[in-house]
Amino acid sequence: MEIGKKMENVRIKARVIKSNIIMILSTLAALYGILFLGWILVSIIYHGYEYLNLDFFTQDPAPPGMPGGGLRMAFIGQFLITTIAAFIGTPIGIMAGIFLAEYGRGTWWAIFIRNLADIVISMPAIVIGAAVYVILVAPLHSFNGLSGSVALSILSLPYITIATDEMLKLVPKEMREAAYALGAYKHYVIKKVTMRAAKTGILTGVILGLARMAGEAAPLLFTSFNNDHTTFNLLKPMATLTITIFIYATGPYHEWHEQAWAAGFVLTLGVLAAVIIAKYLVHGGSFTAPFMYVARRMTKINKG
Amino acid sequence: MSSIIAIENAKIDIRNLNFYYKKGLKPALENINMPIPDKKVTALIGPSGCGKTTLLRCLNRMHDLYPGIKYEGEIIFDNQNILSKSTDLIILRSRIGMVFQKPTPFPMSIFENVAFGLRLMGINNKTELRDRVEAAIKMAALWDEVGNRLHENAFSLSGGQQQRLVIARAIAVNPEVLLFDEPTSALDPISTAKIEELIIELKKRMAIVIVTHNMQQAARIGDYTAFMYLGKLIEFDKTETIFTNPKEKLTEDYITGRFG
Amino acid sequence: MIELKDSGVYRSALPMKRNGKVGNALFKIAAFIAAALIPLVVIMVFVVLFIEAYPAIKTFGVWHFITSKSWDAVDNHFGAFTPLFGSIYVTLWAFIFAAPISIGVAIYITELAPHWLKPIVTTAIELLAAIPTVIYGMWGLFVLAPVMQNHVEPWILDHLATLPIIGFLFNGPGIGIDTLTTAVILSIMITPFMSSLIKDAFSLVPEVVKESAYGLGATRWEVIRKVVMPYVSSGIFGAGIFAIGRALGETMAVSFVNGNNHNPGSLLDMLSLLNSVTTITVTLADEFTEAMTHLYLSALFYLALILLTISFSTLAIAKLIVWRLERRWKT
Repeated sequence: MEIGKKMENVRIKARVIKSNIIMILSTLAALYGILFLGWILVSIIYHGYEYLNLDFFTQDPAPPGMPGGGLRMAFIGQFLITTIAAFIGTPIGIMAGIFLAEYGRGTWWAIFIRNLADIVISMPAIVIGAAVYVILVAPLHSFNGLSGSVALSILSLPYITIATDEMLKLVPKEMREAAYALGAYKHYVIKKVTMRAAKTGILTGVILGLARMAGEAAPLLFTSFNNDHTTFNLLKPMATLTITIFIYATGPYHEWHEQAWAAGFVLTLGVLAAVIIAKYLVHGGSFTAPFMYVARRMTKINKG
Repeated sequence: MSSIIAIENAKIDIRNLNFYYKKGLKPALENINMPIPDKKVTALIGPSGCGKTTLLRCLNRMHDLYPGIKYEGEIIFDNQNILSKSTDLIILRSRIGMVFQKPTPFPMSIFENVAFGLRLMGINNKTELRDRVEAAIKMAALWDEVGNRLHENAFSLSGGQQQRLVIARAIAVNPEVLLFDEPTSALDPISTAKIEELIIELKKRMAIVIVTHNMQQAARIGDYTAFMYLGKLIEFDKTETIFTNPKEKLTEDYITGRFG
Repeated sequence: MIELKDSGVYRSALPMKRNGKVGNALFKIAAFIAAALIPLVVIMVFVVLFIEAYPAIKTFGVWHFITSKSWDAVDNHFGAFTPLFGSIYVTLWAFIFAAPISIGVAIYITELAPHWLKPIVTTAIELLAAIPTVIYGMWGLFVLAPVMQNHVEPWILDHLATLPIIGFLFNGPGIGIDTLTTAVILSIMITPFMSSLIKDAFSLVPEVVKESAYGLGATRWEVIRKVVMPYVSSGIFGAGIFAIGRALGETMAVSFVNGNNHNPGSLLDMLSLLNSVTTITVTLADEFTEAMTHLYLSALFYLALILLTISFSTLAIAKLIVWRLERRWKT
């Protein structure tokens, strides 16, 4: 009996020690994650800040290897392409989300589309760019900004659809019923009641989708490509911050590297700001960020 | 067994109603025959799952929002069978209104909430809207509390106020029948009393049907009471009779609390 | 007692506006079309890629293309093996690095973090996820690669390359632009997604379930491993697959620190972490605008099609498995 008890205690102790070790490792893992975030952010701020000046935003680039000049064309191009992509993708995405949540709930058609959207969100971005190249670049014999917008909007479409769908599904059914009980048509109920109730969540989804779009470079490689002059012509190649960073950072000139850092600084700042704003729009910041619920859907079969 | 008394000029006449949530399954409502008297309060009582809310939602065809359901029989309102496929649900629901268990203000201002149904009907004239909204809110005994802040968000009201707001919203379009689905079960006793008073006043203008799991409430405000059990209508009579001299044994057992 | 006066509200038997019907139908149709665009776009992408890849498919066939290591622009002879291997291999290592970290982070957030620290750590992880992938790439190139080259990899070469059996994993030039660095960057990129998904899955487990396990005398880790994880196994599995899908399709974070090396040598060389290979995405990014011949471009599209197919089927199969798992657990 005595020995048995002793063995038991030893075994229990071993189990507890094992558990504690793993808990310590988990804490280290969290530290690891935060460490890298800090390291990346600090690098960006440190390297990027020093090269920021007014010229950076207002001038087109100097000849390669020469100091000075700026990335005005990239800022303008990024803004144009992203905005147009938003104009294309957002209404379609919201309408698709409305269909999934309000018209198609439970039907096999809607279940299929919803699960498909979950998959599409993870499709390689560069492949989408290649496809858009065939459709919008080759026929025009020129890279063009518009095709870049189209590629980005395709990327954001499933994202906004899913966000809208999820947010609309959170609206309690009693609210809808109360609207119908007053004798309203379906589209009226959706527009005036359901959408309004889900307004904040959908807006957050749109902002996050935008932020994600703004950070993409791969789909732009074969669509909007690049330009070293400022242009507003959507039918010609157009520079973007992301592509510029790619080209400059992998280029041979030291000046280019500096500018890449600075561009990276501005880009990261913008994207992170958008994410933080979006998070705090929804109930002043919660643990379960809407950003992640989009990915969370991957782990469920959506039955409607 | 069921005992149902006859009524002269019923506002709604339910005839041989069967209702299925899903075709092929057992009916949720079986052979309901019942009148809804005009300008009176009809209370629907019975244990959980007896079908009283199901019956209520047949009257404004709320079930139609969900696929797979089936009606059999007739519900006669204004000389027409509202269960027929040709019934315009939009018009029907503007004449038969509903108040739900949970207060459901819309995400908009108090004014806009009450004006919602009016705008649906095409009333957009500012003055007319204002007058009718004011009238409805006054009738719902809410004007004293919200009259000076009509443009605040409806969510800023308390539970009892929200429920009265919802009632104002429902009566703004002047329905002929108003359906209540356990309207006070989520409210405190004082708000409950206010709403019961309101219902008693409202019945002067319209027929009222109220589902309640609270027998005392039925006894307080019901002119007529219908007792339901397992999807069937057991007894329909004047409230006084139901509570003091029920004809069916089942009714008596329920009233005296032998089962809940 | 409530005093109600007749406020003169007049009756109107019929609603006055009846034209909502047409708008109603139009709205529904518009919504339907919008939703239908999603499958349409998917089909379009597949079709377009297939059409463009067809010349290469006809020339190189399927099996030959996948197993051929050649990539010769002069001879116009192309094979997918090297980039395909690279894509899968880099993703594999990224997953190996990321999985334990993600689980650790999820455990920390749900079980260990003090109340005030939870939102901070959660936000930090989400910010990591929000950083554009170009930035990851650039940072990897300018900051991480030199560190790897100057500090980490010499150490590995000195100590690990001479180990028996697994030594081959650590042979190579060690210049910082290689599979190891790529895998590290990629793992940092997919960790936020994975850990958030796993964390969400963990929080789905009801407290009572965990409490019963503790009540039987289980340690913290035992509760997690034996109760929580099986409970949300579908969620964890999905998280892993999602992360893999993302890593497979990633271009930017990878192309900065990968050499687009089409000739890494023997298979043994290719398996080395300190050697550089190439991935499908990197090949596409680097060579798309340089492809001179029609066959060359077609071969690139062929690569893209392969990647798309792998990515799509992986995710679709994962969804199916998740479905099966859920059906088994949730009666």
